[in-house]
Amino acid sequence: MIDYLWLIFRVLVFPGFTFLLFFTMFCDWIERKVEARMQNRMGPSFTGPRGLFQPLADFIKLLTKEEITPTESKKNFFRFAPILALSVLVFALCFLPIDGTSVIPNVSFGGDLIFVMALVSVANFMLFLAGWSSANPYSSIGAARVLTQFLGYDIPLLMLALAPAFLAGSLTLATIVSSQWVPFAVLAPWAFVLFIITMQAELEKDPFDVPHAESEVVAGHETEYSGGKLAFLKLARDVQIVFGASLITVLFLGGANGPVFFGFPEFWGTLWFVLKVLVIIVISEYITVLFARLRIDQVVKANWRIVLPLSVLSLILTISLAVWIYPLV
Amino acid sequence: MTNIATWARVKSPWVLHFNSGACNGCDIEIVALLTPKYDVERFGIKLEPSPRHADVLLTTGCVTQQCAERLKRIYEQMPQPKFVVAIGACACSGGVFAGNYNVVGGVDKVIPVNAYIPGCPPRPEAIIDGVVKLLNSLQPPKPAKKEEKKDVKQ
Repeated sequence: MIDYLWLIFRVLVFPGFTFLLFFTMFCDWIERKVEARMQNRMGPSFTGPRGLFQPLADFIKLLTKEEITPTESKKNFFRFAPILALSVLVFALCFLPIDGTSVIPNVSFGGDLIFVMALVSVANFMLFLAGWSSANPYSSIGAARVLTQFLGYDIPLLMLALAPAFLAGSLTLATIVSSQWVPFAVLAPWAFVLFIITMQAELEKDPFDVPHAESEVVAGHETEYSGGKLAFLKLARDVQIVFGASLITVLFLGGANGPVFFGFPEFWGTLWFVLKVLVIIVISEYITVLFARLRIDQVVKANWRIVLPLSVLSLILTISLAVWIYPLV
Repeated sequence: MTNIATWARVKSPWVLHFNSGACNGCDIEIVALLTPKYDVERFGIKLEPSPRHADVLLTTGCVTQQCAERLKRIYEQMPQPKFVVAIGACACSGGVFAGNYNVVGGVDKVIPVNAYIPGCPPRPEAIIDGVVKLLNSLQPPKPAKKEEKKDVKQ
């Protein structure tokens, strides 16, 4: 009985849903603040202490607004795609070892790295469906761009994720984390840098944010959404960003590994994990602000001509240097 | 519950900018709002690309006959609750173009307007003041101090 209560607590409250929700909103606030500071602005400042509740206010406001469903849209897809995208992403996050173990204890199995990557593709596909079903030319173009982009960049992403898996000798996320007393970002920096860039494309952030380029396609796949559905779509996007940063943390920065000073190791594990995720999010936001948007053809060209060969090279490099890297693992 | 909804609405007004035949003077003042000098993201105001996402429609210009239909359609595409702010003398009444053969004259001839901000063009401070007054009108009136009451009367 206690076990079940503990499981429910873990899924719903602590490393699970509630924690992830508030952490996502906190990350959103950090992003907006960093972006504003980079552009010599203040960013959200008067909603709660230093504007901390701004993402929450946005979310609640969207929930209380009217929901419009276009007559020509495919109603079921239009309704459920945002919620499915959000739930698939939260489900994927449940497999990452946030406080040392995954959210549902002992759910980790051999090859859950591949499974988690597949779930991200499914979530991206939901975003595509969201745009495709809303019967708007801008949404359709945005959705087609989502599909083009994530189909292309998934391949290098998976190849680059194989580098840490190869070094750890396992496709299990927990094993990859536990074998990193020296983070793989130090041992294989080439894969780390490429992974950050590819993740930038996977998360549709600048310079790869063609799917919702405001000056070309209004808001891309989000164009027709309003009210609660838009709230969930935006939340799904923010959760996706947190998920990307968490995946980088798990694969390259040693996840929840870190010194434990006193008290519960879970507390320190979560603290290190959150700090590492925040570092990744700040880096990715720096890239977002520093670079201008590429065109869609440049994005596709960059994928097939530059990132894919580089990721193959990086995998070859990792494997050929493994003899010298292995003693450090 | 309604308090939380009102709080959220006041704290996160997303705006959509629509030019219904303005000379671009007012539009540049709106752009000045969004850029570093006046940065209205401090108050949670964000420029949204799609009318489906917006709460406040910032309208500039004297509304030409051609634009009236489009303005109406943009307004109808926004989800409730929605607010319209008419920015500049032209948007308020037609300005110097009032009575012209190709001009409807004033945004309120086409869609309901919640706040008028006169000026040719109005200063960014005036636009912020107008939007803040509009948002404060959403909140239930608080017992104000005497000085503040005088301010409202003026």
